[in-house]
Amino acid sequence: MKRIVFSLFLLGAAFITKAQTADEVVNMHIQAIGGAEAWRKVNSVKLEGTLKGQGFEANINQVVLHGKGSRQEFTLMGMTGYTIITPTNGWNFMPFQGQTAPEAMTGETLAESQDQLDAQGVLVDYAAKGHTIELLGKDDVDGTECYKLKVNKKGGSPETMFIDTKTHYLIKSISITKANGQEQEVSTNFSNYEKLAEGIVVAKSFTLPYGELNITKISINDPVDESAFKN
Amino acid sequence: MRIIFSFLLIMTGITALSQTNINSSTFGMMEARWLGPGTMSGRITAIEGVAQDGKTIYVGTAGGGIWKTTNAGASFKPIFDKYCQSIGAIAIDPKNPKVIFAGTGESNMRNSVSIGDGMYKSTDGGDNWTKIGLEKSEHIAKIVINPNNTNIIYVAVPGPLWNSSKDRGLYKSTDAGKTFEKILYHDENTGCADVAIDPMHPDTVYASNWEFRRLPYAFNSGGKGSGMWKSVDGGKTWKELTKGLPAKPFGRIAFAVAPSAPQNMVAIVESNETGLFISADGGENWKKQSATFNVVSRPFYFATIVIDPKDPKRVYRPALSFSYSSDGGYSFADASNEGGWVHSDHHALWINPNNTNQLYLGTDGGVYISLDKGATWNFVQSLPVGQFYHAAVDDKKPYNIYGGLQDNGSWVGPSAASGGVSNGMWKSINGGDGFWVQPDPTDPTIAYAESQGGNINRINLTATKAVNIKPQQAVNEEKLRWNWNTPIVVGVANKKNLYMGSQYLYKSNDQGRNWTRISPDLTTNDKKKQEQENSGGLSADNTSAENHCTIFTIAESPLDEKMIWAGTDDGNLQYTLDAGKTWTNVAANYAKAGIPAQTWISSIEPSKFDKKVVYATFDNHMYGDHKPYLGKSTDMGKTWTLMNSAEFTGFAHKIKEDPINKDLLFFGTEMGLFATLDGGQNWFRMKNKIPDYVLARDIQIHPRTHDLIIATHGRGILIVDDISPIRNMKKETAEQDVVIFPTAPITLTMGQFGDGGFPSTGGWVAPNPPSIPPIKYYLKDRVSSGEVKMDIYDAAGKLIQSIPGSKRKGVNLVQWNLSMKPPKIASGGAKLDFGGFLAPMVLPGDYTIKLKVGDSTYTSKVKLVHDPADKNFTLEDRKLQYKTAMEVYKMHEQLAAVVDTINAKQKLIKDNLSKVKDSTLKRTMIAYNDELEKLRAECLATKQKSVFADEKRLREEITELYSGVSGQEAAPSNMQVQRVPVLQAELKKKEQTNQQILKKYDKQVTDGLKKEGLVPSGEKKGF
Repeated sequence: MKRIVFSLFLLGAAFITKAQTADEVVNMHIQAIGGAEAWRKVNSVKLEGTLKGQGFEANINQVVLHGKGSRQEFTLMGMTGYTIITPTNGWNFMPFQGQTAPEAMTGETLAESQDQLDAQGVLVDYAAKGHTIELLGKDDVDGTECYKLKVNKKGGSPETMFIDTKTHYLIKSISITKANGQEQEVSTNFSNYEKLAEGIVVAKSFTLPYGELNITKISINDPVDESAFKN
Repeated sequence: MRIIFSFLLIMTGITALSQTNINSSTFGMMEARWLGPGTMSGRITAIEGVAQDGKTIYVGTAGGGIWKTTNAGASFKPIFDKYCQSIGAIAIDPKNPKVIFAGTGESNMRNSVSIGDGMYKSTDGGDNWTKIGLEKSEHIAKIVINPNNTNIIYVAVPGPLWNSSKDRGLYKSTDAGKTFEKILYHDENTGCADVAIDPMHPDTVYASNWEFRRLPYAFNSGGKGSGMWKSVDGGKTWKELTKGLPAKPFGRIAFAVAPSAPQNMVAIVESNETGLFISADGGENWKKQSATFNVVSRPFYFATIVIDPKDPKRVYRPALSFSYSSDGGYSFADASNEGGWVHSDHHALWINPNNTNQLYLGTDGGVYISLDKGATWNFVQSLPVGQFYHAAVDDKKPYNIYGGLQDNGSWVGPSAASGGVSNGMWKSINGGDGFWVQPDPTDPTIAYAESQGGNINRINLTATKAVNIKPQQAVNEEKLRWNWNTPIVVGVANKKNLYMGSQYLYKSNDQGRNWTRISPDLTTNDKKKQEQENSGGLSADNTSAENHCTIFTIAESPLDEKMIWAGTDDGNLQYTLDAGKTWTNVAANYAKAGIPAQTWISSIEPSKFDKKVVYATFDNHMYGDHKPYLGKSTDMGKTWTLMNSAEFTGFAHKIKEDPINKDLLFFGTEMGLFATLDGGQNWFRMKNKIPDYVLARDIQIHPRTHDLIIATHGRGILIVDDISPIRNMKKETAEQDVVIFPTAPITLTMGQFGDGGFPSTGGWVAPNPPSIPPIKYYLKDRVSSGEVKMDIYDAAGKLIQSIPGSKRKGVNLVQWNLSMKPPKIASGGAKLDFGGFLAPMVLPGDYTIKLKVGDSTYTSKVKLVHDPADKNFTLEDRKLQYKTAMEVYKMHEQLAAVVDTINAKQKLIKDNLSKVKDSTLKRTMIAYNDELEKLRAECLATKQKSVFADEKRLREEITELYSGVSGQEAAPSNMQVQRVPVLQAELKKKEQTNQQILKKYDKQVTDGLKKEGLVPSGEKKGF
């Protein structure tokens, strides 16, 4: 009987272990999403999905080649716009209102967008990538207890991440972007986590201010034609 | 295995228990709307800017937390909503402007001042805060940071206003706020009111001590503890500065050191000869200067004097109005109102050190910005930090909210409006300090409003004319005593009854034209508490704020107009059962429940369900006791139960019983809004866009819309729309994984006002409530795996709409626009065609909701009804509109099919043209493509390349008709109906042309491609 009680106590203790440092939280999170080794093998990601709001549905296609390029396409009613980011250039083409040619990103936006080239996510090997992270304690996200991490990215756009204390998944992020020096907050909720054949666990649903993006297909390490990153 | 099973049971039990707690998260998306407004802002207590950029500015408020702008005031956001809302001081680390210190509890020690709970620090520009100490300080006047060593911080703590305390004095931290040491202290009644350091010799520190005290019925500023002190060793040793200053006792001393020439100082010293003094030798010697009325006015309340960062001769005195000196304080002039009036009563001033023309001024009515050293000002209209005392509502559609505000009069504004509720929609109806405002429920043109001391007016809202209806002292009566915040109450059982109280209770049945006194003196009439003419201390200050032994709250039973309750500011709680002939005092009874005697009875709520049940709140903070006293009696006040909760913080202002669920109560305090669903056994703090420690002064529940209206003393009006889910939430419901709440029949409408439009530049626009009632469901837990969506089927079982559902824990709201899915429209073209976003409203009938949560589906019904009262849109009109809209809808889909065919064929040609070897086939393909393109260009706009240039083709023509017919709540016009067959004929032609082109080319091309071994390719997806 004593043994049983002792075992239960240990199990319980394991459940209530509290993270004390940012690294511990980051490690728990990375462990929950497949472990750093699995993520380090990710070189490219291709996504297909739909963005739905009431009265509209858009198709999203994205390809990221780690450290080299990202292209995101947004197709609505047969029209396609795109955003391209590379280490040195960024372009936006949004023809929906009559834009006829791609427009170059500002240097500030390009610098802040560099983490989108990180196919492994900013938290994996974050220090080596030049980011710093602070643990800001725990916070309540709509009734779910979370660890609150402040990620100060090398590119300059800080992001606050909320990691569920139970599942250790990222459930919400608030990123701050700048437009002409003016800060703007973008809040995203993450859900529908799924483990892929490569061993990594990814969120397949993103709740954005203007609708919900659901990923319908995801391919890891498929070959990527780098011409996609040319304007 | 058994062990594991047992363990699972234990864990399940723990989980179940923890998950069934009803709290704010149970109500998920039911978030408060911030109605503001910003047209009358609230008291601003601290302003600090980042010198490095001149655009990042932090604004501390009396009861609305801290607001930050990063664009010099074009827009603000609140950054302190999880903490105490009263701000006394802000300081920015001059070396690292991301480090911010905030001292809570303002030090403008008026009667209605709130309290703080210590010092906070942020290291990321205000995104996150940590409490760092001085928790019992209650009021913090100033924080200064040593510019050479920013680990050294001085904090001036006046300390508690209402009681003696050792938690006051000047504090110093040498470790950036980790620890604080008290370095200047006189006694339990004397705090530190101001501190400054010599920026060139930061070990030279100046501080002023201040002896002060408020009682519920008097104020004293001044005593032997007040004085001016100097240290040259960072606060280790001090000497008192006296040479040239007047004879003690002193009151409050405000002073400033010239940053660019720190030997120069100015000080306003409250004394028997209150005056302005200047020093040119670091305070060693002082010389009195002549001063204007404004410079020396009301020193306890106006404690700001600032010297220009670069020009030691330029001195600013924000006080009752705005004065400036250009000669170091020898003479002052008052700024003119050229360019616009600036609200009186100034408490904060920040001067951009790198552009000293740029000033930010904090007043009792918000923030003003000057670009010309204070000569002219622009008002910041985007800070919704008004300080309401009370709120009331009428029954108009949409209903209006009435309320009175600290130093900002009385106002009325709509709860919803086209494009959102903007500042300009609020109407000022009475001046002075505003408190109770009561719309007359029997006469929609009339409201009753007051200024301080019971100066009540009957306001004609149409003509905005006022008639003074204040009851007058009668023969052989004592002088009437009116509270600063005199209650004016309209009857609940009999809406013609109008009550107000001095020490006597008055009633009128004719809109205040005639009053009847219906009580004796209901107070203790303690003469020792009625010496207000001596109030103020060294400076007389008697503005009715200290009036005492007065009636403070009145409540007529909703069940019996003869049952009236009255509570006083000196502890009496009395009722009559015969409309005032006889009165019973139950003060001794509530005291037995542990509620102190002499408390202010801040609100009384006779139950709507049982005449013998009454709730009351008791505010004892003016005796230094900040506990939240909330009592309930079930026997007409004979015995009382003190309701309590570990959640409660702040002294008590208001208890409100829900009119439908007797177990639902709302409780507003100085530090939070709380609710219970079980009659007071368990309480939770209401959040969801309500600041955690909101100053909740008054609470109303609208009887028609079921909205919860909260009058805050620092965040304006907050509204939680339709609290039915809170009202109907049961523990059994909360324990279920998923619940779709029953939806009352919904009247078909496109909504009246829209969501709220765009935020106006430089103003405040509150969003509207949902025009269409949302469909509500409950999730016990946040859905982290699986999809959530709501599919809606018509009576025939046809899927007509599919909406992504939110996954938030608690109550989720889905806004169905009562329309079907938009049509598929012809794709491509030169720009988006908005016909693809529009859909006709569905017809009245029964609809089935299928809520998919992961792998499970939950089903419910909703009935949509036509509004039979709408004479402009009859049911027959609706049917014709639907029929017409659907005919056009189908045209869009038919045209889309034509264009899809064209697109597919053109893609086939494009993909293979370069691979084809047969030149004849190649020519045929080019001709095929050309004819397709010609048809495509007739079907939709393909050439127009600018949003500013219209190009109309068939798609756009259909959309014009379609949006007209489906986007209106009216029958289609005769011409709209006649247009349908015209466009149908056009469409038919396109379909025929398409068939002809296909017939002419398609087989030929397909065969040719096959012959060359080119299999027609599918559409490429992805990369």
